[in-house]
Amino acid sequence: MKVYIYKVFERFWHWTQVTLIIILAITGFEIHGYYELFGYREAVMIHDRTAWAFLILIVFAIFWHFTTGEWKQYIPTLKLVKEQINYYITGIFSGAEHPTNKLVYNKFNPLQRIIYLGLKVLVIPVMVISGFAYMYFNYPNETYQLGSLDLVAAIHTFGAFFLIVFIIAHVYLTTTGHKPLSSIKAMITGWEEMDEKEAREMIVSEMEYSLQETKRNFLSEKDSSDFLDKALEETEEKIGVKKENKFRDVIANSGAGYFKIGADGLFVEVNRAWVNLYKYESCDEIIGEHYSLSRSERAITQLDETIAKVMKGETVEHGLVIRKCKDGSVGYHTITMTPWKQDEKIVGVEGFILDVDSSQAAKMEWENN
Amino acid sequence: MKRKLFVVLVLVVSQFAVAMLVMQLNPTLEQDQSEEIDVVNYIMKADQIDRMVADHSKFEILQQEFETPQAVTLACLSCHTERHHEIMANNHWTWDRNEKLALRDSVVSVGKKNILNNFCIGINGSEKTCSRCHIGYGWEDKSFDFTDKGNIDCLVCHDQSGTYKKAKGKAGYPEEGLDLNLISQSVGSPKRENCGICHYWGGGGNNVKHGDLDEAMNSCSREVDVHMAIDGEDMSCIACHTTENHVITGKVYALSSEDKNRVTCVQCHTETPHTDKLLNQHFERIACQTCHIPEYAKANATKMVWDWSTAGRLDAEGNTIHESDADGNHNYLSIKGTFVYDDHVKPEYFWFNGLADHLLITDSIESIPVQINTLEGSYNDKGKDCATESCSKIWPIKVHRGKQPYDVVSKKLVQPKLWSPNKGDSAYWTDFDWDNSIEAGMKYTGLPYSGEYDFVETEMYWPLNHQVAPAENSLTCTSCHSSSPDSRLANLNGFYLPGRDRFAMIDYLGIILILLTLGGVAIHGGIRVILRKNCLHDKK
Repeated sequence: MKVYIYKVFERFWHWTQVTLIIILAITGFEIHGYYELFGYREAVMIHDRTAWAFLILIVFAIFWHFTTGEWKQYIPTLKLVKEQINYYITGIFSGAEHPTNKLVYNKFNPLQRIIYLGLKVLVIPVMVISGFAYMYFNYPNETYQLGSLDLVAAIHTFGAFFLIVFIIAHVYLTTTGHKPLSSIKAMITGWEEMDEKEAREMIVSEMEYSLQETKRNFLSEKDSSDFLDKALEETEEKIGVKKENKFRDVIANSGAGYFKIGADGLFVEVNRAWVNLYKYESCDEIIGEHYSLSRSERAITQLDETIAKVMKGETVEHGLVIRKCKDGSVGYHTITMTPWKQDEKIVGVEGFILDVDSSQAAKMEWENN
Repeated sequence: MKRKLFVVLVLVVSQFAVAMLVMQLNPTLEQDQSEEIDVVNYIMKADQIDRMVADHSKFEILQQEFETPQAVTLACLSCHTERHHEIMANNHWTWDRNEKLALRDSVVSVGKKNILNNFCIGINGSEKTCSRCHIGYGWEDKSFDFTDKGNIDCLVCHDQSGTYKKAKGKAGYPEEGLDLNLISQSVGSPKRENCGICHYWGGGGNNVKHGDLDEAMNSCSREVDVHMAIDGEDMSCIACHTTENHVITGKVYALSSEDKNRVTCVQCHTETPHTDKLLNQHFERIACQTCHIPEYAKANATKMVWDWSTAGRLDAEGNTIHESDADGNHNYLSIKGTFVYDDHVKPEYFWFNGLADHLLITDSIESIPVQINTLEGSYNDKGKDCATESCSKIWPIKVHRGKQPYDVVSKKLVQPKLWSPNKGDSAYWTDFDWDNSIEAGMKYTGLPYSGEYDFVETEMYWPLNHQVAPAENSLTCTSCHSSSPDSRLANLNGFYLPGRDRFAMIDYLGIILILLTLGGVAIHGGIRVILRKNCLHDKK
């Protein structure tokens, strides 16, 4: 199963960085005196121009990271670091599962977070600063001048060696994904191949995230329908499904229950998860029935109101509802309901439900009582 | 399909574009050679107008029968009535100059009159032969009257007939039988031949002293000197050594120390002569001469070593010996000792800020080899802290190494009397007796001599300025930026030079880290592959 992980700019940034660092390394070590390739003069000129190109790329990358919130990916965490290390030392050989999964809002494992953050805030800045000092502050009649190149040269050279080490390890570790080449393919196409479990978790987490965002929005008492539409669209885009066509399929494969109710109040469609949550045997028992069978008599008014709202075009999210299962027992879930449109006309409602941990539900019920 | 195209566009094409952008070949080197060179304060040969403003052959006073060369001088001064004041203030006349030497507080008198070198050592006691290069008549000894304007020799510099010649050992008088009418009527601005007769031949032979001033430069190719090449700009000495009122710019550090009245490349070429910014930045720390004079003594050899201690060997009949090396240059003369000549010499390189010190005859020797003219400068002499306006730069230097007599008791160099027309006059070149010649020389100079002498190694430093090579023959980056022992700057230590210097520790550490990483990858990856092959790695 493939999931869209790396956006266009991100891939452009990554591969441009690759190109520039390789050019910098080749010319840099020529300047260092290890071999003759371009000729010293050309090597210096190329190194100089590449450094400028790199600086421009860094400026764009910083802008991108902050405007998209991607910078949060690099917040270091110690959670699961040990597990991740153990995985690389032992688990990987015995075919153990990755201790951390690749999620859109958590692309990196904790080791990656630490290493990449280190690159971004330490190695790259040190290389840029020492590099530009090397280039521009070694001339004594400038306002700012270096006593000698010794220190910057030492730092710059060591940084270069460190980057080579990083590249070797980094390239090797790309082979530890779902398949040996899946990480590299992902960085090229944006779509990463994952096993289904991982993908499902990713989608669930994505939906959870959306719900949390939605909740935050409701609390702010604004008209939230536009936001919800947008969030939904974005979510769909992020998890790599096209609106309408694949939404249902993805839901079908996720843990969430999906339902579609016509304007007459009768179920048109439910998925397997929905059937399971309600403890029915098959969809046939549901299709064509009125939605009132899903609630106790006490709670049905709330659902009536919700459906009425959605039929008017709103998207509604309920924090927690109590469902009535086939056997009369109850369960708890959150619900998100949006209009079901055909040719821009609302012909019913559709939505998904997410099961909620019963202890949490109990707590909430207790509060209600 | 569309997505694949998009991927190709975003990744492959963009990477190609980025690589092309940064890797573009820099065309400036080619430009440097093909473009007309921009110069200031100089009119190119093609635009120069050479117009005679006075025809001296029409002047009656120059048609008289001259009894003496002094009579010619007085004839000159009858029209150029005040010029003698200029001449008499000029170092070519005084051979003396008050200078403040680097690192000394007081002003001292420095000039050919009193300074020692490691060629013919000094003029004292031998003026009659040395003053062949003095622009005067009759400097035989200390009694010479420097205030007598009649003793000025105008002709040695201004003769354009090519027939004027000063006699050997005649205190600056010309040879007998010259046609002084022809000579005096030919006068004009000095040409290369006028300057060269002394500046080429200093030290007793062509190109002996400077190494970059050679008689061959009267008519040389671009390869020898790009400025003076006859098929090029064909520049005269005074094109650069501009002269107003007989004040001739340019001084040599063998005798002069203060950083003033110099001739520089910048006066025509500006401080930013290259189209390449990086090369122009080198100007901050590298003298133009360093790259543009990759070698000197390109037409004729120059003297690199002069060892006086072997002088005095005579053949069985008591005659002086002349021995030459394979190239025909003297490598032994009884009167002077052993020499080493060399041609196409690579300069040595020093930090130099334009200030020099000189070992005065009264100074004690403090270290060996004795530095006769210490060039001041260091890597750290730069920026706001530097001692001079130009700060220290790397300069190409001809180092002349000598071995010459000194007083072992007073630890001072000595002035032997070298020349006399007669035997038995204590002159070394006739008598071959060091004791006598030193005693006579020191007595003449008015300085004490203990009576014990020995020979000491000395060094003299001659910054190179001439025999500038065509651009295509200049040094290239790796002439210096190279860890090879052939790097021009292999011996100029104390600073970090990219391409030449590395920190062994960091390199070792870096390489070890890389090897460890590669090893780790190989082991880790190897185990993964093996386990997979053996089906121990369940696909689930």
